[in-house]
Amino acid sequence: MPLDVAPVVRAYETQRTLNPPGIPALAPVPEGETDDTRRICEQFGEDIVVAGLHNGNEVVYVAPGQLKALATFLRDDPELSYETLIDVTSVDRSHLPLDGEARFQTVYQFRSYSRNQHLTVVADCETEPDSDGASAKIDSLTGVYQGAEWPEREVYDLMGIRFTGHPDPRRILMPKNWPNHPLQKQAPLGGEEVPFTFTWDDPEFETLGSQILPAESTIPDLPPGMSRQNMVINMGPHHPSTHGVLRLVVEMDGERIVSIDPDLGFLHSGFEKTGENKRYKDFVYYTDRMDYLSAMSNNLGYCLTIEHMLGLEIPERAQVIRVIMAEMQRIASHLFWLATHVLDVSGTGMSLLMYATRERERILDLFEMACGARLTVSYIRIGGVWQDLPDSFVAELKDFLRVMPQKISEYEAMVTEAPLWQERLIGIGHVSAEDALGMGLTGPMLRGSGVDWDLRRDRPYSGYEAYEFEVPTSDSGDCYGRFKIRLEEMRQSVRILEQAVDNLPGGLYKSNNRKVALPPRAELDVSMEALIHHFKLMTEGFHVAPGFFYHGIENSKGELGFFVYSDGSARPYRLHVHGPSFNNLYAIDHISRGEMLSDVVTNIGSIDIVLGEVDR
Amino acid sequence: MGIEEKVPEGILTTSLDSVINWGRANSTWPLLFGLACCAMEMIATGTARHDIARYGSELFRASPRQADLMIVSGRVSNKMAPVIKRIYDQMLAPKWVIAMGICASAGGPFNNYAIIQGVDKIIPVDVYVPGCPPRPESLLYAMDLLRAKQRRESVGAWRNVEEPLAIDEIAPLRI
Repeated sequence: MPLDVAPVVRAYETQRTLNPPGIPALAPVPEGETDDTRRICEQFGEDIVVAGLHNGNEVVYVAPGQLKALATFLRDDPELSYETLIDVTSVDRSHLPLDGEARFQTVYQFRSYSRNQHLTVVADCETEPDSDGASAKIDSLTGVYQGAEWPEREVYDLMGIRFTGHPDPRRILMPKNWPNHPLQKQAPLGGEEVPFTFTWDDPEFETLGSQILPAESTIPDLPPGMSRQNMVINMGPHHPSTHGVLRLVVEMDGERIVSIDPDLGFLHSGFEKTGENKRYKDFVYYTDRMDYLSAMSNNLGYCLTIEHMLGLEIPERAQVIRVIMAEMQRIASHLFWLATHVLDVSGTGMSLLMYATRERERILDLFEMACGARLTVSYIRIGGVWQDLPDSFVAELKDFLRVMPQKISEYEAMVTEAPLWQERLIGIGHVSAEDALGMGLTGPMLRGSGVDWDLRRDRPYSGYEAYEFEVPTSDSGDCYGRFKIRLEEMRQSVRILEQAVDNLPGGLYKSNNRKVALPPRAELDVSMEALIHHFKLMTEGFHVAPGFFYHGIENSKGELGFFVYSDGSARPYRLHVHGPSFNNLYAIDHISRGEMLSDVVTNIGSIDIVLGEVDR
Repeated sequence: MGIEEKVPEGILTTSLDSVINWGRANSTWPLLFGLACCAMEMIATGTARHDIARYGSELFRASPRQADLMIVSGRVSNKMAPVIKRIYDQMLAPKWVIAMGICASAGGPFNNYAIIQGVDKIIPVDVYVPGCPPRPESLLYAMDLLRAKQRRESVGAWRNVEEPLAIDEIAPLRI
């Protein structure tokens, strides 16, 4: 039964006439060459369509038939050694002036940790007519990088591109009877008209409830590869230890786990589709609600991406404020992870939850001082931050920093050496460095396996190069190693915060560029020009030059990346979010095999997922 | 389901009402069930500073059969909606629902294909809490409003509440 989603057309949001001539436009071709693109062009010759630098990223356009060969070459060539596939996404270009080019493109982000290199690969998809809208297809990279499995499933689910050779080509986020692929441009945004009438006969009520998928009682399928010979049990989506609405189908042989099939999408909120229908500045508020435990980091990641595309300079003071907020958020997120992890593992250990949230509340109080909100802050905006810090903020933060190191030691004393805690964590959830790289894990999951990588240190942003801090790693690769890493990360964050708060410069807290950042409120009363700028920004927003850009930051859970494809208008043409929890959660099957059911709970806690970000 | 089934029809229950409602209003056990951002504030409400234990509601029960109150804390997606409906059906009467936050109340910022515009389209809601997310104080105020409502109820109101179908009747297990 097709879903009766009424297209909601709002004239003020879809007016295309505001665009200057020549817009929308395709992304320009990359220019110049680097060592890596030269090496790739030498090897593949005619099969590389074009290669070079675009928006500061190295970009290679490859013929679709050679994609798999290129990926293999990138991984195995000793001069390139791109160990990890960070992200897979796709663009539906049907609303752009295509001129006979392919409609769908897939975009891959490769990372070499050993050489500190990042490479973007773009491939056109071959199109052939198909009945269900999934008309494009391209080779799957799962044979080369294991971690491509879930991102490719996501691309199939949301964009309808089939991956030939994919071992498990099911939908991943949407219900299996969903009628379309929502990110395709012809699929409506959906939703309901907001009624402003009290008369039931009014046509405004026509769409009420129509976007609810008709619920059918279906018998859950046995995931592929599982056998009825074993016991198959269902964990979630309503389960106290799955950190939200995650469903795990666990196949067990006696007490031992044979395999796990996670079922995602219970919190799928259509962030990417919504982002394509909002102006650039308006998506900042949505980023809060993705990884709601690190809203500041999400703000930061998104703003940095857009600012880089705009070529915007950020004032020194704003940079330092951003670092302060991001590091406080990291501590808050880790505190919450610690509290829930202990609660999950012990089952009853409420005391650490109470202690850790005591410190977390202090951080939330500081957020509240700065921006008035506790959780969904939207404090970091494009061009700087929303408002300057209040006068009492620094003193309050210093007081917090004075207390915090003792508290971390206190928590450590409570659990680190406890024999039960060690029994439950040491050797559990083991992942080797090769597997971690192959699966595309990031953050503490990667560092826990001995890969010394932190985007703050190795590809610094927001002035992180000016701070002294260490990146803790562990060779053990188990839950205990990751536990120790996160505790140490909290200490290092305190260290960064101390340096930042001591060297907080004066000056502007947001960019002086009135074309992007709003003028201060007081200026509106005296300056006509400021009023015009304010009006233009609030009604139309600002335009971003055509092109695309991927930027990743280190948030508390791993690499949070934003991929934005601009067609030159005031709204992103395609906005993709690479959530660290999504890739990290992929490891749950691998690391839990052969362990007990109770260890699954430990592993979920150790991966540190937030479902808002996994499902997006 | 509970005591109301034992009381014969036609008996005045005024004093009984006040005793039972006193008990119910002072120990409403919420379901341990979080959806999105609002769940973080729900947990914050449960911890020491805001201390929902003052309301007798500190015991978050993981089983719907032991819970009286469902706090829908976050956005309800199309995939989650049948699950929420089933969990609500599994709760034993008397039961109450708080729609926490604008997403659960009316869809909030997510007016799109994925999110259902208000959980009241699938289950009945007693108290709506505005906010994105509501502060813990807002949730406590919602608890206050709910208690006021509970105190006004008559035990007879929960008599003969329609029993949900057993799971086997909805979807028989096929092995």
